Amino acid sequence: MKIALLGNQNSGKTSLFNALTGSNQKIGNWPGVTIDRIEGKIKKHDATITDLPGVYSLSPYTSEEAISRHFVLEGKPDLIINIVDVTSLERSLYLTTQLLELNTDVIVVVNMIDLLEKKGIKINLKGLSEAMGVTMVPVSAKTGDGIDRLLNIIFRHKYKKNKHQKIYPYDVETFIQNVMMAQKCDRFAAVKVLEEDLEFRVLMNEETKKAHTDIENKYRMDGEQLVASLRYEYIEKLKKDFVQIKRRKITKSDRADSIFLHKIWAIPIFIVMMMGVYFLSIAVVGGLTSNLISAAFNGAKTLELDFIFTKVIFDHPVAGLGPLLGNWLKSVGASPWSVSLVVNGIVGGVSAVVCFVPQLMMLFLCLGILETTGYMSRIAFFLDRIFHKFGLSGKSLIPFIVGAGCSVPGVMSTRIIEDPNEKKATIALVPFVPCNAKLPIISLICSVFFGGYAFLFALLFYFMAIILILGSAIVLKKILKRKEHSTFISELPSYKAPDFLYIGRDVGDKTAAFFRRAGTVVVFFSVIVCILTSFTWDFKYVDNVSITVNQSMLAGIGNAFSWFFYPMLGGHGGEWMWVASVSSIQGLVAKEQVISSLRVIEAAGGPSIQQLFTPLGAFAYATFNLFSIPCVGTISTIHGELRSWKKTGLIMLCEIVVAWLLASFIGIWGALL
Amino acid sequence: MKKQKKLLLRSGQDGHLSDLRRGQKCVVLNFHNDNAALRRRLLDMGITRGVVIEIKKIAPLGDPVDISLRGYELCIRKADMEGIDIRVL
Repeated sequence: MKIALLGNQNSGKTSLFNALTGSNQKIGNWPGVTIDRIEGKIKKHDATITDLPGVYSLSPYTSEEAISRHFVLEGKPDLIINIVDVTSLERSLYLTTQLLELNTDVIVVVNMIDLLEKKGIKINLKGLSEAMGVTMVPVSAKTGDGIDRLLNIIFRHKYKKNKHQKIYPYDVETFIQNVMMAQKCDRFAAVKVLEEDLEFRVLMNEETKKAHTDIENKYRMDGEQLVASLRYEYIEKLKKDFVQIKRRKITKSDRADSIFLHKIWAIPIFIVMMMGVYFLSIAVVGGLTSNLISAAFNGAKTLELDFIFTKVIFDHPVAGLGPLLGNWLKSVGASPWSVSLVVNGIVGGVSAVVCFVPQLMMLFLCLGILETTGYMSRIAFFLDRIFHKFGLSGKSLIPFIVGAGCSVPGVMSTRIIEDPNEKKATIALVPFVPCNAKLPIISLICSVFFGGYAFLFALLFYFMAIILILGSAIVLKKILKRKEHSTFISELPSYKAPDFLYIGRDVGDKTAAFFRRAGTVVVFFSVIVCILTSFTWDFKYVDNVSITVNQSMLAGIGNAFSWFFYPMLGGHGGEWMWVASVSSIQGLVAKEQVISSLRVIEAAGGPSIQQLFTPLGAFAYATFNLFSIPCVGTISTIHGELRSWKKTGLIMLCEIVVAWLLASFIGIWGALL
Repeated sequence: MKKQKKLLLRSGQDGHLSDLRRGQKCVVLNFHNDNAALRRRLLDMGITRGVVIEIKKIAPLGDPVDISLRGYELCIRKADMEGIDIRVL
């Protein structure tokens, strides 16, 4: 059995999908979280269920909505589960009236039933179900109430057949019946003829045209407007008969909005909130944990913990996992290079990125709360005016914030943007947002060179990202010839309490993904770096006595690209310049690998980060790595969205040029001071 | 270009949806709009003839506007509201 899950944006389709299939797909309280169809199996039953992007009607508006229409019309589902948000019933049932014109059976699932009392809504579901001729099941996808009953109705086939209830006035119904008879088409197509849908124009003959004009004249509206009006009139009548709403004048959401959308305070509050997110992640959690974890892996003579602006020093040596493992390997007679491979390559490489896990988890947690409460929609709402000036949509902010987690979902979430040019511009700019893999670069450079003030310098990188995004947006606006009219139409959902169960699982999933990369990509490349730094081109072992690491194979490779980094690093690194270039190249695989590579080379006899960079050089180097070409995962996602290697390549070229110019400017300008 | 201060539309007067201030209510009379896709979207969102709309919130920078209709709230740019003729209630 093939089931399609369809409903308005933000009506809780994915929550229901998760409840039915037991998965933890991304949910959020803003319109357009689901951007592609996702298939799942219903537990203990032989049925696939497809979660689709939210739509308001079967006339698609954005690319992600077209996916839903296509699946419902061409995918031939056996059953449509139409999820309806009880708190905005009128608009939800509008879609239902369209679905009931198809030749598929429909079950209407009335969601958020747990909010009925809170919202002061009384609804006679039995009467409404009778009147519309469709089975209605009340559930709360969030608490799980009613899910068992829904499954029972689906799999015992206890739902009503779609009997195409007549909802229009007599003369309009007659027109529809006549078209169906004359053209041998279904009700859906006949209504489309009435709407003068271009795709169905072939079904319009002379006789129909005359009848059509008569109806338009009678109602003094064109077909499209008429059908929409009649649907809503039908629903208004149902609502009057079966629903009672005691509306409070001022809701809690309104009260919250009088602060979060305040004329003067909205933007300062937003800035403070975003700063708070990074302050908590980098300064509080990061400062306390990253040295601790690093010491646990690699050992340390003294343990230094940063706590905001102070340094806490424990004058006590720590024996780390790596050195202990190394001693044991030596004691069983392992060769020096294999000891180095395990201690410096694997343990050193992995620990270089793993020590950032706690601050990433904090970041994921904060972003998760922002996403599920509904604040994201407010951000899009009040920044639209500014973003519009730069040729972007207020909705561009959602990809940017999602991109602060990872660019891949960031780029994919651009599908919610209506205007194709605003969408393209946003795709090109998402990689400029420092993602979670870039956070280790920022965090490491800042904590090594700027100590307790690391957090302030970290914010400087984010500030640079904003300037860069807005600056590039202006240029893009000039290049992409913009359509006269771009639109921004979005629902403003009420605030909801964050769903900590979901957020917890989501943080867990994302952290697991980070560990997977650390365990696969980072281990693999760290081992390669370790091997390439351990041998010269004629396979002599680098013992750091007669042969130094500067003669290794990796140095040879890196030196070929060193010229590229001279302007930003100045002469400081000297013969070590290759370390910067090979590490940067590895950033293409995964950005955290930059840090891992620096650490592995250091352990193999290379320079420490202070030897390699001046503080300014480090800042410039980090700038380059943050804003140049993103990782391959992001590149392929960008290609997936733009469907053009030419455009994707162009974006990559621009990004590397911009990053290089910016970093070189910082390096050269700083050296002149 | 000088910014004209728009007069407050009073109850019973006709105008465009974009002319209204915060807290005002109106009933939709008609559409005039060249952008077919936008028009379709507005219809789908429930902005049909006769529907009652209230201006609920205005973004801190003056645009877009949050309107309330049919029991839910919709954000929309002023430019997109110009094509909607209304009568103030």
